Amino acid sequence: MNSVGLKGLGAFFLLLGSIPLLLQNELLYVYVFLYLIYASAGTMWNLLAGYSGLLSLCPSAFIGIGGYTLIVGTWMGIPWPFGLALGGALAGLFAALISVPVFRLRGAYFTIGTFVVPEILKFVFLSWRPVGTTVYGRGAGYPIQGVEHIPAWVLHLLAVAVAFFCVTLVRRLTDSRFGYALHAIKDQEGAAERCGIDVFKVKFLAFLLSASLTGVAGALFYLNQRYIEPMSAFGMQWLVAIMLSVIIGGRGTIEGPLLGAGVYVLLYFLLAQYGELSLILQGLMLIGLALGAPHGIMGIIRSVLYKDRVVLDPKV
Amino acid sequence: MKDMLWELMNPLVMGILLGGLYATIALGLSLTFGVAREINLAHGDLVVLGSYFVFWMTSRFGWDPLLCLSFGVPLAFFLGYALQRYLLNYSMRLSEDTVLVVTFGIAVILQNLMQIKWGPLSRNLTQDYLLRTLDLGALYIPLNYLLDFVAAVLVMVALHAFLKKTFTGKAIRASAQDVTAARLMGIDVQGMYSITFGISCALCMIAGTFLGMTFPFTPFTGPTLLIIAFGIVVLGGMGSIAGTLIGGMAFGVVQTLSGYFLGLTAQMLVAFAMVLVVLSLMPRGLFGR
Repeated sequence: MNSVGLKGLGAFFLLLGSIPLLLQNELLYVYVFLYLIYASAGTMWNLLAGYSGLLSLCPSAFIGIGGYTLIVGTWMGIPWPFGLALGGALAGLFAALISVPVFRLRGAYFTIGTFVVPEILKFVFLSWRPVGTTVYGRGAGYPIQGVEHIPAWVLHLLAVAVAFFCVTLVRRLTDSRFGYALHAIKDQEGAAERCGIDVFKVKFLAFLLSASLTGVAGALFYLNQRYIEPMSAFGMQWLVAIMLSVIIGGRGTIEGPLLGAGVYVLLYFLLAQYGELSLILQGLMLIGLALGAPHGIMGIIRSVLYKDRVVLDPKV
Repeated sequence: MKDMLWELMNPLVMGILLGGLYATIALGLSLTFGVAREINLAHGDLVVLGSYFVFWMTSRFGWDPLLCLSFGVPLAFFLGYALQRYLLNYSMRLSEDTVLVVTFGIAVILQNLMQIKWGPLSRNLTQDYLLRTLDLGALYIPLNYLLDFVAAVLVMVALHAFLKKTFTGKAIRASAQDVTAARLMGIDVQGMYSITFGISCALCMIAGTFLGMTFPFTPFTGPTLLIIAFGIVVLGGMGSIAGTLIGGMAFGVVQTLSGYFLGLTAQMLVAFAMVLVVLSLMPRGLFGR
C-alpha cells in the first residue's frame, strides 16, 4: 500500500530538521513552521477523511482546544512543554466526549454533526474566561503569559518532531490490522461490522488519535503565535487549510498531505497580498481538484507511474 | 405563578413566529436532501447572498425589499439550476464526499465575494413600517416577526401545492422515491435535481429577504444559518415540509426561552447544543423516516 519507504521519510525529515544548521533565514522558518503544522494536522485529518471515510469538519476544534490549553496553561503556571502535551490530551478528551453523539451519525450526517462543534466552541470561548479578568483586544483573546521568547530553532525542531511522529504513526497504523479495519469500515460499514470488526471502537480510536495530535499541532502553533482568540482559533480558515493540503496532495496517501501542505503554504504566501481574493482562489481550487483530480497530486503521479495497475482506492 | 406564565407568553410567541423564519431558511436544505439526498454546505451562504442582493437593490433603486423578490426569486432559481446542472450533478456521480467538498468550496467563495463587494460590516433591510409592533394587551408582536411567520406559511403551502398538484412536482417526488423506477417512467432525474436545487435557491432568496428584515447580517453569517437549518431539518425529518415548520418553531422557542432565562449570549449556544443533542439521540430526526 505505501510506496514511500521509512528511509525516504526519515531522510526528508532529517533534511527539514537540519535547516537551522544550514540556513538562518527568518522567513524560511515562518514558511517551514507553517508547513509542518499543516502537514501534521493534514496527516491526522487524512487518517479520518482519507483512510476511514469520516469526512470530519472539526479539526479546528482540536487546534483551538490545544492552543487554548497551552496559552491558558501558561497563565496558571504550567510550563509550556507540559502545555503542549496537555493540549493534546485535552483535545483527545474532548474528542472522546463528542464521539458519542457524532458517531451515531453516518455519512453526511456525521459531516454536519462535526461542523457544529467548532461553532459551539467559538460561542463558549467568546464568553467563558477561565483565568484573568482583563479583555485584551477584540473578542476574548489571551496573550501568552510568562514565557520568554523561545528560539526559532527550538520551535522548528519541535514542529519537525511532531510532523515526523504524525506521519510515521499514520503510515504504521494504515499498514496494520487496525488500518485494514478502518479501510473495511470506509468501504462498507455494515459488512465490516458483520466481519467482526468493532466499528465504534476502531472509529473511536482513529478519532481520538487524530484529535490529540491535531491538538498538539495547534498548541505548538499558538506557542509560536503567542496570542489566541476564539474567532480564528476555531475559525473556518483552519479547516480550509487542512482540507486543501490533503486534497491537493491526495486523500488516502501518506505522501499526500506532505506534498499538499507544501503547495498550500507556497500558494498562501504568494497570494497573501490579495486578501479575500486568495480565499476565493482557494475555494475554486477545492472545487476544481475535487472534480478534476479527486486523488490529488499523488493520484496523478501514481497513474503515470503504474499505468496498468489499480493503485488508488476508487472510493475517495 | 400566573404572572410568570404571562411573562413567558412573550418569548414563547416570539419564538414561534421566529420559528417561521428559521423554517423558511431550512426549507431549501430539506428539499434538496429529501429529493436528491444531497447536502449543500453553501446553503447558509446562499441565504446571505439573497439578503445582500436585496440590500443592493433597495439601496440602489430604493425599492421595498418585498418588491425586490420579484426579480430575486427567478434569478436565484436560475443560479441554482445552473449550479446543479453544470457542477453538482457531476459531483454527485463521483461520490457523496465530493458534493460536500464542492459545496464547501462554493461556501468559501461566496463568503469572500460578499466580503469584497459589501465589506465586513453588518447590514440589515429594516424598513420603517417593519419596526411597528402590534400591541395585544400583554403581548407585543413586532410586525417583522409576524411577517416572517406569514411568509413561511405561504411559502410552505405554495411548495406543497407545487409538489402535489403539478406535473413537474409529481416527477420530482417520483425521483425522490425511487430513482430507477422514475427513470423507467421516462423522468429526467438529473433534470429534476436541477429544478429542485433551483427551487432551493429561490427559497434561499426569500429566506434571505426575511432574514435581513429581522436581523442584521454579515458576509460570515452563513455557517451559523447552515447549522440552524440543519438542526431544524434533523428535528423535523429530511424532506418533510410540515416537519420543517415544526422543527423551526421548536428551534425558535428554545432560542427565545434560553435567551429569556440565560441571557442573550447563551441563546445561540443552547440552540446549537440542542442540535448536537437531538442528532445524537435521534439521528434520523423527530419525524424521520
